[in-house]
Amino acid sequence: MRSRGNRGAARALLAAAALAAAGLLSLSCSKPGPEAGQKGEEPLRIAIAFDVGGRGDGAFNDSAYAGLVQVAKAYGGKIVGDPDRVDHGGKVELRYLESKLGGQDREQLLRVLSEEGNRLVFGVGFMFAESIARVAKDFPNVHYALVDGVVPDLAEGSNVTCLGFAEEEGSFLVGALSGLAVADKPGAKVGFIGGMDTPLIHRFQAGFAAGAAYANPRLRKPGMVLGQYIGRDGSAFNDPKTAAAIASTMYKGGAEIVYHAAGGSGAGLFEAAAAAGKLAVGVDSDQGYSLMTDAKDPAARELGGRVLTSMLKRVDQAVFLTAKELVESGKVRGGYRTFSLADDGVGVAKNEFNSGKLAPYEAELDALKARIVAGEIKVPADAEAAAAFVKGLK
Amino acid sequence: MPKHKKQSILVPIVAILFGFALGAVVLVLTGRNPGSMFLAMFQGATGINVKAGTFNPRYIGEFVIQSMPIMLSGLSVAFAFRTGLFNIGAEGQLIAGSVAATAVALWVQAPPGVHAVLVLLAAAAAGAFWGAIPGWLKARFNVHEVVITIMMNYLALFLNNWMVLYVFGSKDRIKTALFPASALLKDDALAALTNGSRLNWGFVPVLLSVLLSWFIIEKTTFGYSLRAVGFNKEGARYAGMKVERNIVLSMAIAGAFAGLAGAVITTGTFNYGRFLPGAEGYGMDGIAVALVGGNAAFGVFFSALLFGMLKAAQPLMQSQGVPKEIASIIQASIVLFIAMRLGIETLISRLKRKSPETLGEEAGT
Amino acid sequence: MNILYSMIPIALAYSAPLVIAALGGLFSERSGIVNIALEGIMMVGGFTAASVTVALEPISPAAGYWGLLAGLAAGVVFSSLHAFTSINLKANQVISGTALNILAGGLTVYLAQILFHQQRTAAFTSGLVKVSVPGLKSIPLLGPLLFVNASPPFYIAVVLVALSWFVVFKTPFGLRLRACGEHPQAAASMGIDVLRFRYVGVLLSGAFAGLAGGALVLTQDIQYTAVSIHGSGFIAMACLIFGKWNPFGVLGAGIFFGLSQALSLYAKDIRFLAGIPSEFFYLLPYALTILALLVFAGKAVGPKAAGEIYDAGKR
Repeated sequence: MRSRGNRGAARALLAAAALAAAGLLSLSCSKPGPEAGQKGEEPLRIAIAFDVGGRGDGAFNDSAYAGLVQVAKAYGGKIVGDPDRVDHGGKVELRYLESKLGGQDREQLLRVLSEEGNRLVFGVGFMFAESIARVAKDFPNVHYALVDGVVPDLAEGSNVTCLGFAEEEGSFLVGALSGLAVADKPGAKVGFIGGMDTPLIHRFQAGFAAGAAYANPRLRKPGMVLGQYIGRDGSAFNDPKTAAAIASTMYKGGAEIVYHAAGGSGAGLFEAAAAAGKLAVGVDSDQGYSLMTDAKDPAARELGGRVLTSMLKRVDQAVFLTAKELVESGKVRGGYRTFSLADDGVGVAKNEFNSGKLAPYEAELDALKARIVAGEIKVPADAEAAAAFVKGLK
Repeated sequence: MPKHKKQSILVPIVAILFGFALGAVVLVLTGRNPGSMFLAMFQGATGINVKAGTFNPRYIGEFVIQSMPIMLSGLSVAFAFRTGLFNIGAEGQLIAGSVAATAVALWVQAPPGVHAVLVLLAAAAAGAFWGAIPGWLKARFNVHEVVITIMMNYLALFLNNWMVLYVFGSKDRIKTALFPASALLKDDALAALTNGSRLNWGFVPVLLSVLLSWFIIEKTTFGYSLRAVGFNKEGARYAGMKVERNIVLSMAIAGAFAGLAGAVITTGTFNYGRFLPGAEGYGMDGIAVALVGGNAAFGVFFSALLFGMLKAAQPLMQSQGVPKEIASIIQASIVLFIAMRLGIETLISRLKRKSPETLGEEAGT
Repeated sequence: MNILYSMIPIALAYSAPLVIAALGGLFSERSGIVNIALEGIMMVGGFTAASVTVALEPISPAAGYWGLLAGLAAGVVFSSLHAFTSINLKANQVISGTALNILAGGLTVYLAQILFHQQRTAAFTSGLVKVSVPGLKSIPLLGPLLFVNASPPFYIAVVLVALSWFVVFKTPFGLRLRACGEHPQAAASMGIDVLRFRYVGVLLSGAFAGLAGGALVLTQDIQYTAVSIHGSGFIAMACLIFGKWNPFGVLGAGIFFGLSQALSLYAKDIRFLAGIPSEFFYLLPYALTILALLVFAGKAVGPKAAGEIYDAGKR
């Protein structure tokens, strides 16, 4: 029996020694931490906290990341810890973190970023609203920008800026486009697939339905503009299979064009569109263009050919412009900022591949845009307002 | 210290060392820096940033709150293990506890202090109920508790979501209305003490649970009969112990600990009921904690602190370029090593039991 | 009626990974080793399949199928951990399985971060394309249900079900395998190498579960994420129990669970189901499994020796 104890003890000692050796070795060759300045000048630090799922969603988060890259290019900065090695100099230091699966660590991520000397911290997604409100109180010298969410009671001197988008305006235009595109087919319907069933996504649907009805009187009848949501929580933005199932049913039910506001689930819509030989409209970034120019995969072009256009939500612009404010003027205005059709914060994607398809409708779309910007058309932002809007059209 | 106790401490310690060593190897092989991970863990537990020379008590607070739920779920799994039951249902029992906690927090009026205690009791009761069901099914119908508890985990998850959206009501689809302050374990004083962490009074029921679990198992006849059932069910039955009743009670108590964890999270770490997109892993963490803690209450205490340290360090690790999943890899390796070692030990003890020299040795001891 | 035509192909597509994984569980348990790591193996298989597909898509139209194969292989490798720990080291099989589930969750996302710099794999474009079988699709009634826009893994699943049934119940190999799971000591006394058969059982379960994970990711998603598998491994275990450890039973159970998952999508179109919240449909497979466990509890459940550590010395 004693031998067993000795053997166990010996094993433990060996393991401890190995661990200690590994630890010492790794400490000795550890890279200098972020605190090490470059050439004496302290870089300006800006950080982004992505929401659940992080980069790779092909839409929202990736758009924010693209904004970071733009900042790096424009001001000679580098993205720290980014394996893509975006590095244009050391004047601005950018970093990003991604939330855990259930998102429980949002607040902690923000705190970690705030404590590390970042002057500007972005929270991407409305789920950051509460965490930002709390953390901002504890760090008055750090400025926070919330994409898509609303923190109440902000003023220009606050250290929180809410960056919102007039999604309903952009959606109105793609709705009108869809309505116009099916005008020559009497029984044709259009459809909308939403990701998470929440007021933010309702905006997309309301605008779309209003635009479609506005442009095409046949779509004012009930049941001509279809709509369905994928799910109830954040995973709905990452569920292509459900999107595909819903889309197939819509196409089978007579829809010619289906628009989605479902982030990463959109890929399912595009596949269903290809299978049904119908059209789809993307969202957030120019998804049609990305597919058509996907150098890696020839099959992508097939899908890309099905994407009529996308409703652009320029998260990258929002990120870039806010960061620009900090870099150029040393501070950021607090309060609320909405990016809309007026400043191209939202819009209809046009590229070399779909310009031909869009050409017949461009004049009318431009006219509509002008009227919205001028305030002549008030685009509804929720289901009730949309219903009232359509009623008012008759 | 009796020899077998020495062995049982050695097993987890060796497993932990090996687990971390393996984690370090994985990091090195994939071009990441293990040093960053250890520094992050150190900072996560003590709040001391070695490189920058700063101290931030917020990390200590976060370290504590990360350890609390898994200490309770660890107690849950450990307690059941002593009775010979594998409680993979801690996750579901925890969720059941959260639902009960939310209900009492939102629907019951009571003065502060009393309200919080009611919340805790309700959560423990709900967890006990959720644990007793598979216990009873096992005792009565000999249905294997592993599959039933896994199914009940999912049942609890979807029931919770349904209740958050439809019964408690949710404006933003992520959470219920905020709880009144009287129900909370949160305390601004504690938060201020630790520079804005989510430290709350939950550590009181947690510590009490550790003591209670130890007391029940080691110091009561009930605990003795539970352990007897765990060692040898038929032997215990022959000795006149009420095996079926013990199984149900054991699962109920185990469920109560897990349910308590649900309350600690819902009214301590947060102050609202939450829509859960998926299981958050407290059940799995509890299994790891229990195994590393040798299924003993004080062992669970220390092992929960260890795993809590790993979890608390994750945001820091990520910010240093170390993918935070390394924590799961280390955790799984530790559990695997323990499973392997326990297996080897069983094999060795069975072989030794057969050989004449050991029979002689044992006779002589 | 129209709804059924939309719903059934989708239900069959959903059921395929469940059936395949459950068949894996069948082989393992029939040999006497409990494998609750089906979930983890599916994760590993799904991750590998997605990664290989992304890598091969630019150069091969059959990238998805290579991905499936890679997923299968990865499943075998990963399950060998369970085999070694449970069989050679005689560890507790449930603990070993749990450890593997935790490991799979961490390892896959970790590798995704290393390889793709994000917490999920890069997106592939088409994965496994749906097929419409020429000729067969024109069969009235059944044609559009089974052969139009069908998911290839479903056909794979059906073939595997038939093969498994034949192997397990009609071949000497199957007989010996079952003996190892029912009464290993008796089998050993007949000269059967119990350890070897159990290894085969576990490795087969790894192959099947890896294949299932790959099938799931390639047909239902565009990349592997931490939530891609999301409990399917456990539902597969439920299929196994529901199907009473018989391949055809498993097929039926899988289709049933696939239907209930598909139902949640179409409930709003079916009048009397429209008001029921979707959580109820997600609940259904799990609640029904519990019911099944109760109903079948009295009769002989799984292979008698499944889960027990094989002790050569015991009588």
